[in-house]
Amino acid sequence: MTRAYVDDLSVERLAALQEQNLELSRLVAELRNEAALRTQFLSNISHDLRTPLTAIITHGEILRDGILGELTGRQRESVSGIIGGGRQLLDMIGEILTYARGAANQLTLSRSDFTVEAVLEQVCTLNESLVAKKGHALSVTVEPEIPPLYGDREKIVHVLGNLLGNAIDFTAPGGKVWIRASRGAPTERGHVVLIEVGDSGIGIAPEHHELVFREFAQVDATASRQHHGTGLGLAIARKFVELHDGRLWVESTLGGGSRFYFTIPVRSAS
Amino acid sequence: MPPHILLVEDNALVVGALRLLLEETGHRVSDASNVADAARAMRTDPPDLVLLDLTLGADDGLALFALVNPPLPVVVALTGHDDPETRERCLAAGCRDVRVKPIRSRELKSQIAAWLGVRTPA
Repeated sequence: MTRAYVDDLSVERLAALQEQNLELSRLVAELRNEAALRTQFLSNISHDLRTPLTAIITHGEILRDGILGELTGRQRESVSGIIGGGRQLLDMIGEILTYARGAANQLTLSRSDFTVEAVLEQVCTLNESLVAKKGHALSVTVEPEIPPLYGDREKIVHVLGNLLGNAIDFTAPGGKVWIRASRGAPTERGHVVLIEVGDSGIGIAPEHHELVFREFAQVDATASRQHHGTGLGLAIARKFVELHDGRLWVESTLGGGSRFYFTIPVRSAS
Repeated sequence: MPPHILLVEDNALVVGALRLLLEETGHRVSDASNVADAARAMRTDPPDLVLLDLTLGADDGLALFALVNPPLPVVVALTGHDDPETRERCLAAGCRDVRVKPIRSRELKSQIAAWLGVRTPA
């Protein structure tokens, strides 16, 4: 082989590589653009779905609140059903939108310091009536002198609310539901708080442990029919925890209850 | 004189629901479905409060601020978008507050009183 021949070859190969690089950049840009378009589409759809729901819910509330005259107990019950159904749909629309933003990497964190106790209290108050309705015993334990969390409070409340909601839903009436917060094992990124949300409910077979975090996954179709939802709750919760550099996982056996764990970093002492 | 509220909203169903709620709770209500009509209504019959939707067909509701001269009544955005960017955009444009639809009817009643600085109409 002559030297000139080799040089020719490498020039050719370089040109081909440059061409491929260009093509790849074009593809990446195209994919990004597609993801952005999909998010925009979902955002528009969610706005358009909210508008008629606004009319339905507002009319329902006008009737329920007796603004047009007092209702009988049964009438109020029926109208409350319309409002409840509408609000459930709204929550689902919100979830789909959050998921789309997460998939397009458009979620950002707005971090602050706050105590574990404060978020636990907020989440427990929100779920008080559900817990009472199912006759569960809810216990909350926080290890003494646990450091404050550093993260996006709203998103952590969302994660806790989702896990607690599942624990309440997937446990037969009169069951046990608990939340425990403790210091977790430090990671290379620093100290973390470990939060456990457990229940004495139906549990999840080990082969389904990862499936439950997948979007639109419902392990048991009969159970899911009784438990409304988009099938996005845990996928979103995991996304929120991972945005904080934390982990979310489950330990459970079928019939043996479930324990969901997640870690959230605390601000490093500096 | 009952407080006068201008609804700037392009969906007739939402206008119907809010009008009924507001009129039945002691307010006078007028409505406009685009920013040009809203600006005209604000000149001819100045409201005490404007409830402003952001997506009005092809119009951006916030364009209203460029069409009217101060002093402005209290303007509150009522929108179907619940992202922080929308909220910031509304406040920067001059909205007193931003609420995501559907606002609860009880909350709307008490908020209107707070925005107007008056007691809730009986």
